[in-house]
Amino acid sequence: MGMGNACYVYPGAPATPGIVTPNVIFSRGIYMNGSMRFDDGNSVTIWGFTDLAAGQGQADGMGGGSFPSPAMRVTEGQIVHTKLTVGMMWMHTIHHHGIEPSQENDGVGHLSQDVTNGTYTYQWRPKNAGTYFYHCHTNTPLHAEMGMYGGLIVDPKPNPADPVGTKRAFANGPIYDVEAIWAADEIDPAWHTLEWAAGTCGGDVGLNNLNPKYFIITGVDGKTSALTNPGVAVNMVKGQTLLVRYICAGFHPQKIDFGGLTASVVASDGRPLPTPWQTGSIEAHSAERFDCIFKPTITGTWTVTISFYHWRTGAVMGTAKTRITVS
Amino acid sequence: MERRSFIKLGGASLASAVLGSGLLSWVPRSEAATISKTFYITGGTLTMPDGVGVYFKGFSNSATGLNVPAASIICQEGDTLSITVVNKLAVTHNFVIGGLKAGDPPLASTGDILSGASKTLTYTIPTGKAGSYLFYDNKTSYNVFLGLHGGLAIMPAGKSNQLYSGSPTFVKQQFWIFNDIDPALNSAVQRNTVVPTTFTPRYFTINGLTSLPPGAVGHGDPTRDALYDTRTRLAGFVGDRTLVRMLSAGMCSHAVHAHGNHFEWLTDRGTVRSSVWKKDTLYLRNKLGKIDAIFPFEAPPDAYPPTTHGHFPMHLHDEMSQTAGGGMYQFGSMTEIEFL
Repeated sequence: MGMGNACYVYPGAPATPGIVTPNVIFSRGIYMNGSMRFDDGNSVTIWGFTDLAAGQGQADGMGGGSFPSPAMRVTEGQIVHTKLTVGMMWMHTIHHHGIEPSQENDGVGHLSQDVTNGTYTYQWRPKNAGTYFYHCHTNTPLHAEMGMYGGLIVDPKPNPADPVGTKRAFANGPIYDVEAIWAADEIDPAWHTLEWAAGTCGGDVGLNNLNPKYFIITGVDGKTSALTNPGVAVNMVKGQTLLVRYICAGFHPQKIDFGGLTASVVASDGRPLPTPWQTGSIEAHSAERFDCIFKPTITGTWTVTISFYHWRTGAVMGTAKTRITVS
Repeated sequence: MERRSFIKLGGASLASAVLGSGLLSWVPRSEAATISKTFYITGGTLTMPDGVGVYFKGFSNSATGLNVPAASIICQEGDTLSITVVNKLAVTHNFVIGGLKAGDPPLASTGDILSGASKTLTYTIPTGKAGSYLFYDNKTSYNVFLGLHGGLAIMPAGKSNQLYSGSPTFVKQQFWIFNDIDPALNSAVQRNTVVPTTFTPRYFTINGLTSLPPGAVGHGDPTRDALYDTRTRLAGFVGDRTLVRMLSAGMCSHAVHAHGNHFEWLTDRGTVRSSVWKKDTLYLRNKLGKIDAIFPFEAPPDAYPPTTHGHFPMHLHDEMSQTAGGGMYQFGSMTEIEFL
């Protein structure tokens, strides 16, 4: 079976069973010709999702877009529609990683459909506040490596006893003032020349062997740029509380070291921990998330280092760094 | 050798103790017992999803078969294991039961078993050893990768539904044994040439099989397709809490990711965790790493309209492991979770 040069894909864009009026709608298109430029001047092709409602890109996949893809942010208990529109030239899905909806809305091609030539509306209602992410689940090794992912945050329902604007990690969880989302990923440029269905019909296209050359945090090169990039590096004032949402977005294991700061890890994979875990570093593997609270009591600058370990040898392949500055 | 031989199951001689089909079946006894089993170290060629034949070795149920992994064994504290291993191959092998915790010495070993010889391991299991174990060959650093491995479950004495005394309870249990295969290694062993010093795995199995997605030859065949292998697939009604004993026999560390529910994470590398975390992704280390976790079979929490039915995958999120021969996404280490 196949479609064009794709095999073991399950094209479709059916109606959503049991569809109702949602509280929140995300309209996602795709882009297949974006790019990311690294600190050494080289660049690679990036694919991703666009926000059609914001006028980003087109459903036909041409052009570029933001990397990572636009984040989704919802409140627990809301009925959410994620509308994915894909042209006839490609197939993609959206899997809301860690969200556990019905089979039809889980975004796994062989158990529902790979969206093509139309729109599918994923309907879900998050029960648990926390840190998640969304990614394409079609030819996943390649599509996720190419950049087809974005952050997904579920906030708790506001506590009526809290002052307006209070931000909590989860219901009755810690209050925070400053938030950072660190999606740590690795890039193997050799994979970024492949076409969307590469390998699906057989043949060795190297998808068993990821040899990254670049190490990034939330779409920013971790060699130098992420040390100061305002979308990654944290600047806060003593007395504030920081919530770092760390997402292991690559495929190899990682270790994040907070450079001397102690994290109070309050949740993982969208679930509060029974008791917070005090640690200076975390070992993580692909797709794990950790919600880390920091309450620095002194001013200073701390360098956070994420090491990327080869999944077989355990050797450090590279690092990505950013900073927490407390003034 | 037919691919079917991947999933040959336990012998009938110990129907109560050796995996016969599907889930690990267990009824606790008030009396200790002797659990006897004979394994034959055999070799043969199995066909990978891309048609490539790869040489494997296994602890097999017969002198002419090939079982990768070996038939699982389940017993309880106080039992005596009496395991006879017959080496049908031309080189020396051994059989060890790994320690409970990372860094522990093996529970027991046969010592070297010369070509054509056999040895019997006899080991009485003391209290405090309940847990999940990999038995394997450590005569070389790579024999375990060739398929010489299997799972041993030791239950707490008198318990039917706990991993360790006082653990969260379950109603069913099974193994997921992961392996990563570099055919260059297997070929070198088969041809008795120099073993590579570095490996690049090209095939990734769970309980000896890869997934075969819809449309693939063999899809849906429980003897060929890891999505439907009854030893591997999770199937249950809401409330059918299933203990999964995850063992790494392979080269690579893996991220075990379930859709549908979060796991309840009980142990890491044999050590009981100080509290139970709910995780959708678990870090399974290489170098004989292991994890015990319960898949709770609760209604998928984020479904709207709510539902108690559906099919979901469990796959490794280090997505290189979802391929075969450098491509063929969905022909890797994946199984299915069915809410009945």
